[in-house]
Amino acid sequence: MDESRRGVLKAAAALLVDHWATGPRAAFASSSQNAEVGRKVIIVACGGIRREDTFSESGLHNIPHLYRDLMPNSAFYPFVRNSGVTSHYNTTSSILTGNWQRLDDWGKSRPSSPTLFEYMRKRMGLPQNQTWLISSNKALTSQISASSMRDYGPAYGANVVFPKQLLINAVVRAAAEGRAIHDPYRASVQPEIEAILNSDNYDGLGWSVSGDSSSLDALTLGVMQHAIEDLIRSNSPVTGDEFTYLVSAEVMRRFAPSLLAISFSDMEVAHFGSYALHLGGIRTVDRLVYELWNQVQSLPAYKDKTTLLVLPEFGRDLDGSTTNGFFNHRQNSESTRVTWMMCMGDSVRKPQIIEEPIEQTDICPTIARLFEVKIPELPGKPISGLWL
Amino acid sequence: MTHSFFAGASTNSHADEPQLREYRKQIESLPVTMRPSLNHQLADWDMLFPFEQKQVTAFLHGLDSLTPAQLAAITRPLRDLETKMGVEHWNFSESGDTMENASLLARSEYYAEWRRQVQQVFEAINNNARAEVPVAAKPARLIVLVLPQSLPVDSPSGGKQWDSRMTEFSITGDTGHLCELLLQGHDDVPGIGSILAQDHSTSESDLWLLDADAELADLLPAADRHSACSLNYSLLKPFRDRFLAEVNRVPKNLEASDQVLAEIRREDWDRWWPANLPAQPRLRKFVVDLFLSGNGALIFSNAFVEWAASEALRRARPRIMVARFGLRAKPKPFTGIAIFENQHTVNKLPDVDDPQGSAIDAAILARYIWLAAARYPEQDQTICLCVSEFRNRGCLISPQGKSPDWSHDHPASVEEIHKWLAGQMAV
Repeated sequence: MDESRRGVLKAAAALLVDHWATGPRAAFASSSQNAEVGRKVIIVACGGIRREDTFSESGLHNIPHLYRDLMPNSAFYPFVRNSGVTSHYNTTSSILTGNWQRLDDWGKSRPSSPTLFEYMRKRMGLPQNQTWLISSNKALTSQISASSMRDYGPAYGANVVFPKQLLINAVVRAAAEGRAIHDPYRASVQPEIEAILNSDNYDGLGWSVSGDSSSLDALTLGVMQHAIEDLIRSNSPVTGDEFTYLVSAEVMRRFAPSLLAISFSDMEVAHFGSYALHLGGIRTVDRLVYELWNQVQSLPAYKDKTTLLVLPEFGRDLDGSTTNGFFNHRQNSESTRVTWMMCMGDSVRKPQIIEEPIEQTDICPTIARLFEVKIPELPGKPISGLWL
Repeated sequence: MTHSFFAGASTNSHADEPQLREYRKQIESLPVTMRPSLNHQLADWDMLFPFEQKQVTAFLHGLDSLTPAQLAAITRPLRDLETKMGVEHWNFSESGDTMENASLLARSEYYAEWRRQVQQVFEAINNNARAEVPVAAKPARLIVLVLPQSLPVDSPSGGKQWDSRMTEFSITGDTGHLCELLLQGHDDVPGIGSILAQDHSTSESDLWLLDADAELADLLPAADRHSACSLNYSLLKPFRDRFLAEVNRVPKNLEASDQVLAEIRREDWDRWWPANLPAQPRLRKFVVDLFLSGNGALIFSNAFVEWAASEALRRARPRIMVARFGLRAKPKPFTGIAIFENQHTVNKLPDVDDPQGSAIDAAILARYIWLAAARYPEQDQTICLCVSEFRNRGCLISPQGKSPDWSHDHPASVEEIHKWLAGQMAV
């Protein structure tokens, strides 16, 4: 992505976060109200990616940063099993709760056991702006922020934001209303994005917080309009993950959350049968994770106190499967269920490859241990290789 | 189990309403989770391909020939599993497959076990059916996969070993001429349509032409056109655009989705079909089912070709299939993040071709078509030829003992390839 274009996206991301930070919603308290906890954890979930297309002889060229730049300093877990329902909502919920969730795939219901966000906020007394989930994936909903458990629930939930939805909704709405983008600058998208920003109904975007007012102040709106004009004029492919990354980076700068979960989904274009675009999505994630790690090193709030976990949610189906191979992720096969995880940073004992198989439900108790948060007995156990 | 209805019926696939009623009764004797797909097929009986009708009939024949005790023994593990899964408390449709059914099953912690059990019951009943049906002759089959000149594909196999029998070879002459020879014939070597026409057991779904662009259909002689299932992504554009707009109405809610999808199935699409399809209701239904089953068939031409080929192989088991891939455009700004949208509607900027990306897509999808064919017993009689027009190269999988001696050092001309293929199919 060229620098001018990136600058535009960055500006848009900053404005969005500005909007949340300066708005009248109590849930988005300013950074000065941050609870300072020492440790930071960032979980990056990368949709459905096969080991074959990443950490295998034929896949390494798709992940130059993960393999060459990050792996040498990481604890790498080559056998991470997803034993649950290999759909996005269920998998992400399972990682966050440490229990295999079996929910409506489309995020209609809340997880049936408490999330890490709730454990941390309740036990550590953290404000909402210390726990965030920022996702490109439209299969998730804001219900993922907190469980349906009586003693926990939305009062202890995380901020959940879907930056990509903002742009998608703008495009889809313009198309649905027959207002095609006729001119080279596609300026008709602009009012759509503005309308969404000004709308009182944030549910469509998956926001987990509600406020008295959702209008932008005149100054912010003016800058936002300008940024969107530039965004539209730049006329090069927008990737949702790029925008998600930039919003995440801005949230890190403004709020320095203790627990930040990011989910990327460009690679899910595989569902439409383009292997080339799927591999492009993997390469984008590879680059963004590297940038994220560099961002961690550049921010005093994160440097030397952050653990970054990167893992696919699941693999994808085997070539030749009745489920059409890489298109989908619903086959009960090793290709779909077994992936990898890379841990970097503060809590890594030493760079090593830990071949002992682990389960995705081990991640929740591991992070709870990192924060010294007591949680109920869970099916998983903390993983080895980290200072816990 | 009464044997009266099936007595003497063998596996004749013709079924009138009394027969279908009897079939439905048979299905009621099966565990609940096996019923939707079978009932679904009965509901659209006339829209099934001859192979599917024979398959369902044979299965029900096998079911009918079991004694109640035998059936109880075969299905007991699945029935017990359904009890453990709590199926009786689900909002589970028995009349047809729904998204809600699929979601309920997939979310069950017993899902993998359920799939195994269903497979076992199907196999047990099918084995019982097979034991009573005489073995039929096994005609030769042919799959031709074309990676056109516009796709910079170096190796037609994509560097993968599709099958242990696969060989790669060079082609002399104009590789782009091969489809014309195959479909029209040349000198004293007949075209594939003529070869099929000589076999009186051939059905109307035995020749499939699947095309990303509009290249193949016009090559087929007029006399053969009525008997071919010919689909091309370009000519379906008005229908696809309309269909995509409807599919995008599907809400993020399982129950409502099933309602919208049912409406789409019932909708009258007559005026949106290309000229050659209105006379082929079975093929039209195939296209609707194909588009509703996802897998990119509505979005990318190469995904359409691959998924249509896979579904045709599964449902129709054609004797001959020619599948031709093509170029796709690069995703446009904004449609890159909303790729399920019709990018021609969303963005009027001219398309920009993506030859490199299209070549990567086509290479893996061509292999997927062979892998789909390789799942079925007919693969033993199947010749699969994939050609890269860009490099004048081919890869060939042929039945044991029937390989020509083409190689990189011994190239074959397009005329030789045509003659050899025609000779194999005419046997």
